This record gives sequence, structure tokens and C-alpha cells, in this order.
Amino acid sequence: MKLVIGLAAFVGVLVWLGIGLVVAQGPQPEIIVPAEVITKVGPLNLTNTLITSWVVMAFMILFFWSATRSMKLMPSGIQNFAEAVIGFLVGQVEEIAGEKNGRKFFMVVATIFLFVICNNWFGLMPFFNAFGKHEDVHHHVFHEITAEHPHDLVLGEDGHYIEGDGFGGWIMEGDGGLITAMPRTKAIEFEVFEGETPGEALDRYVVFVAKHFADFEATDEELEHPSAEMVAAAAARLDGNDGRPHILLGDAHAADDHGSAEAAHGLASPTLHQTITGIDFEGAKKFGLVIPLFRGAFSDVNNTLALGIVAFLCIEFWGFQALGFGYLKKFFNLNGVNAFVGILELLSEFIRIISFTFRLFGNIFAGEVLILMLTFLMPFLFVDIIYGLELFVGFIQAAVFALLTLVFAVGAVEHHGDDEHHEGHHGEDAGADAHNVHGAAAAH
Amino acid sequence: MGSWMVPTAYLLGIGWYFATCIILGVVIGRWADAATGFEPVLTLVGITIGLAVAMVGGIRMLLPFMRRFGTGPTE
Repeated sequence: MKLVIGLAAFVGVLVWLGIGLVVAQGPQPEIIVPAEVITKVGPLNLTNTLITSWVVMAFMILFFWSATRSMKLMPSGIQNFAEAVIGFLVGQVEEIAGEKNGRKFFMVVATIFLFVICNNWFGLMPFFNAFGKHEDVHHHVFHEITAEHPHDLVLGEDGHYIEGDGFGGWIMEGDGGLITAMPRTKAIEFEVFEGETPGEALDRYVVFVAKHFADFEATDEELEHPSAEMVAAAAARLDGNDGRPHILLGDAHAADDHGSAEAAHGLASPTLHQTITGIDFEGAKKFGLVIPLFRGAFSDVNNTLALGIVAFLCIEFWGFQALGFGYLKKFFNLNGVNAFVGILELLSEFIRIISFTFRLFGNIFAGEVLILMLTFLMPFLFVDIIYGLELFVGFIQAAVFALLTLVFAVGAVEHHGDDEHHEGHHGEDAGADAHNVHGAAAAH
Repeated sequence: MGSWMVPTAYLLGIGWYFATCIILGVVIGRWADAATGFEPVLTLVGITIGLAVAMVGGIRMLLPFMRRFGTGPTE
């Protein structure tokens, strides 16, 4: 009987995996570390992670407004839930920092916790990383190759590339409005090689476009080292018929007549002996990417750095508030070896910002990449497991960020030397409350 | 958050903190070496300072645990 159940479970897993691969395999992800720019507002970039964090802020404001707009003595529904969350957080903060300091630290620590956990869990919603605007990769590649001063490529004075670079994207249909990352979208990448000239790269790009967008036959070897005949044949293939891209030839000035956005740029092909002024993808499939409208806010290092700086400033502020300029004695001490330790402590204060930043960013970004990759490799089955894991990671990271802020804050308001004499002379509340962190830790 | 949360946060924080200190020491040391041509002196100095900062910060963060288990410095 056990054997039958085991066999049935095994077959079920295989069937589930098979269904996922057939009907729900996501596009091969193009992993982009920086947040994608959705639009520009004056000189500022409006990124998808920023939009997400605003949505989360709006959600939190709406949630707590709804919970508190008609409060009752006997709470129920949303008020009950909000009170339970806040009550729980107050209890935890006071247990670690003591009542007086706990109340002072609570607002910042609880805000950090709720903001981080909401962002982390929002980032797991299905519409994240799934739809957005179309980004034309072809236009970028063509501009980079033909530009006199490329932005991403490094061109030496002798006219050869100093470094190679790759431009990844998908073969996509449609280019207007909001589009979805289509299942089974094929990922392609055009590589520019170190040591080649822009003209050689352009010839190879023509063959690359003809292969992927005009059913032109070319092996990988031929893509890397195409003959002059092959470039000519590929260029002839790009005639705009039957949904194929259209290559624009001639001198740069004449190309203006085509009205193409790329007409201003043009580069002489060493094998065609003509200037290629553009490739018109009108009516053809596109070499592009989906720039998602929503992406987990803390998969962007700028946001985690901002939160780390906020935590750092709050900790330093509380330190000065509690101890005045005496707070600086911890760092600037002329007493023998303590002078050296003080400098290390000062360095350690600043390194905490970096530590805060990369801990949260690393965990959330890695989780996002893991989910995207597994959606492509093994949809349905393993993604579900990883989703569960990421829910846990989202909670843990929010708790770690908030608790470390709290613990460092307690350390900042603590009198210097309390570590060594923690059961001695706590004359003031700050030190007395700070003592609770040891008590709290010891209690566990 | 449960009784395990505070120790967990502490220990997770210490791990990343150590890594950050050492990596920063190496990166800044290498950058300084490249800028001044003293390679590998400043990289070694960077690693040493990174390790020292990691140790001092780590001990500060670990003190509550050392007290909890009775193996840390006592008054």
C-alpha cells in the first residue's frame, strides 16, 4: 500500500512538473541588478522599486487609517488585528529596551519592521516582475555600436573595443502600452567582443538580427565570425517583408528620408561597403524586454541604503539625546588601548550602515532571482516551496533589521563602560533601560 | 516574534557584520593600492583593520550571549 502511495505521489509530482513546463513556464529571466527606470520626473529617475515603496506606503496608511477611524473599546475586525500587531511589537520592544526607552524607540523600530515586512511580502505577489512597459533593446544596441562616444561600450583610441559587453533581451511581440512577460519567450543575447571594431560588430549584429527575427540560417560559429557573403545575405534577408525587420542602407544624410529615429546614426559596414543607418522593426517581432512596473522595493540597494542611513541617524540621535557630548567618549578616548578601540568602534558605527544595507538587499534580491529562475526552470512545483521560504525570509529580515536597530539604539544610550560593569552604577534611566537588553537576551 | 527572535537577529547580524567588515577592508585596501602604487601593503592594512573592526564590533554584539552562557567577562 505504501509503495502504491509513494508511486502515486512520485507520478503526481512528475505530472505537476510536466503541466508547469508545458503551460506555465515563465520567460527566461534577464537579471538586472539596478532598479529599472519607468519614467523621468525632471532630473530624477522614477524607478519601479520606488513606485512599489509608494504603493506599500499608501497601503499601510490606508490600513491604519481604516483600523483607527472608528475605534471601539471592544475592538473587532481590522482594529483588532492592528491592535494585536502593535501590542505585540510594543511588548517586544519594551522587553528589550525597557519601558522608557522602549516607548521612545518604538515608533522608528515598529515603522521599520512593518515597512520592511510589507515590502518583502508585497514583492511576492504574482503581478510583481510580471508586467510593465516595453524596453527596446535593439535601439540601445544599435545606438551603442554606431555612436561616436558609446555609453556602455569602451572604445579605444585605435578604434577597437577595449572591453567586451553583452546586450540581453527577449524576442517579443507588441511594443505598446503595458505588456506582460509572455510565457515561453526566448531570451537572446548579442555580444560585442573585445578587440573588434564597431564596423565588425555591426556586421555581426546584422547576421544576429537576421537569424533571430528573419529565419536566417546561421550557426553560432557563423554568428561570431560571419563571412562577407553571409553578411550580404543576412542584409538581403532583412527586407521588411512577411513580418521581417527592414535594414536601412545608404549614407546617413539620405537615411533621414526614412524618418527613422535611428537615421541620425549610421556606420559604414566593412563588408557591405554601405552605411547601415538603422534596422526598422516595424511590423516585426521586437528585440526587447519587459521593464516591470512593480519590483520588490528592497531588491534595490538604494532603498536598503536609505533605510540603513535612517536607522543610523536615529541611533546616533538617541545616543546624543541620552548622553549629550559624553556619547563621543565611546569613540574618542585617550586612555591607552581604549584610544585604538574607540577608533575601531567609530568605524564600526559606519560599517553598520553597509552591513544593514547589504544584508537586506542580498537576501531580498537573491530571493527574487531564485523565484524568477525557478519559474523558468521548474514552474509550479519548486516555486511553491521557494515562495514559502521567501515568506519566512521576508519576515526574518524585517525582524532582523528592526531588532538590530533596537539593539544598537540601546547600546547607544548606554553609558560607556556599562558593558564591563553592567550591574553596577546605572544612575540614569538610559543606562537602566539599556541594561534590559542583556536581561532580555539572557531570558531567552 | 518568539523567544528565539532576539538571539537569531543578533547572530544573523554578526555574520553579515563580519563579512561586511572584511570585504570593505579588502575593497578599500585594493582601491588605495591602485591609487598609490603601494600594492599589496594597503590591501593587507585594509584586511587587518577590517578584521580588527569585525572583532571589536563582534565582541560588543556577542557580550550579551557571553553573559548568558557564563563564559564572558564578568564584573
